[in-house]
Amino acid sequence: SLQDGKVIVWDSFTTNKEHAVTMPCTWVMACAYAPSGCAIACGGLDNKCSVYPLTFDKNESMAAKKKSVAMHTNYLSACSFTNSDMQILTASGDGTCALWDVESGQLLQSFHGHGADVLCLDLAPSETGNTFVSGGCDKKSMVWDMRSGQCVQAFETHESDVNSVRYYPSGDAFASGSDDATCRLYDLRADREVAIYSKESIIFGASSVDFSLSGRLLFAGYNDYTINVWDVLKGARVSILFGHENRVSTLRVSPDGTAFCSGSWDHTLRV
Amino acid sequence: MALLPLPQMSSKEAIGCDIGQARQAVEQLRMEAGIDRIKVSKAAADLLQFCMEQAKSDPFLVGIPAATNPFKEKKPCAIL
Repeated sequence: SLQDGKVIVWDSFTTNKEHAVTMPCTWVMACAYAPSGCAIACGGLDNKCSVYPLTFDKNESMAAKKKSVAMHTNYLSACSFTNSDMQILTASGDGTCALWDVESGQLLQSFHGHGADVLCLDLAPSETGNTFVSGGCDKKSMVWDMRSGQCVQAFETHESDVNSVRYYPSGDAFASGSDDATCRLYDLRADREVAIYSKESIIFGASSVDFSLSGRLLFAGYNDYTINVWDVLKGARVSILFGHENRVSTLRVSPDGTAFCSGSWDHTLRV
Repeated sequence: MALLPLPQMSSKEAIGCDIGQARQAVEQLRMEAGIDRIKVSKAAADLLQFCMEQAKSDPFLVGIPAATNPFKEKKPCAIL
């Protein structure tokens, strides 16, 4: 998703653009793929999350089939489909998260508790899991029960905004990246922070984090244009990746775990 | 009778001046304090075990054969 109001779906092998959608608002901040791969959801300063079914038919305009699903009172910072194409979880600058039914656009559950903008969210990995974690400008990461709308655990050890949260592959822990230049690992069953990934030489905020398939490596993109790779168990940095010419704003490991992609303010996506 | 505004409380939790909000915050904290916790030694051991088990199937740790890697740099083919 781009800040000039477009959302682009890429083929990562051929580097061709497969689809491009122009959004009515200029700042798209969040996008997500539906589990089936047949639709995408995106939103931003328009305070909404819209779902676009993907079509390869050149005669069909994707914008025409757009469905507005979520409505917040401030910008949409993150969105994610749940286990099916039918429900979407959103996080917003209005301090709340919400669960929506895609078909009817109905609000199914709302999650109140953050004291400031919610910047990120991630769903627990297991199919039976019904929790998700969110991070916000109130320096907190909160774990929510999707059915009751209750916050079940909260963690406040970061010293600044939590920009990104990602569950550990086993679902028993999650990592967060923050403007305080650290990434931290929180164990859910021990209910506390168990590791900090930081170096004195790293002074810029971490904007995005993701784990490798086994959870041994934590990839984190920073505002100093680099990507640091951390050994999750040892707490030490394994590698530093240079290449971007501006802030790394987002980072995601592929589902098969063979590669990860980073997006940056330098207008590029790198695999 | 109008309620006097409560003095600002300086605590880590963002507790509002409103007594209703403060009550809710206390309830939430009580609930969070009451959850079952396991020891970090056990939690860390479990994370370690999961990681070790999955390490064999993690492409970033094990590497992928060059033949199947679509991003491998292609070497020019010289025709002799």
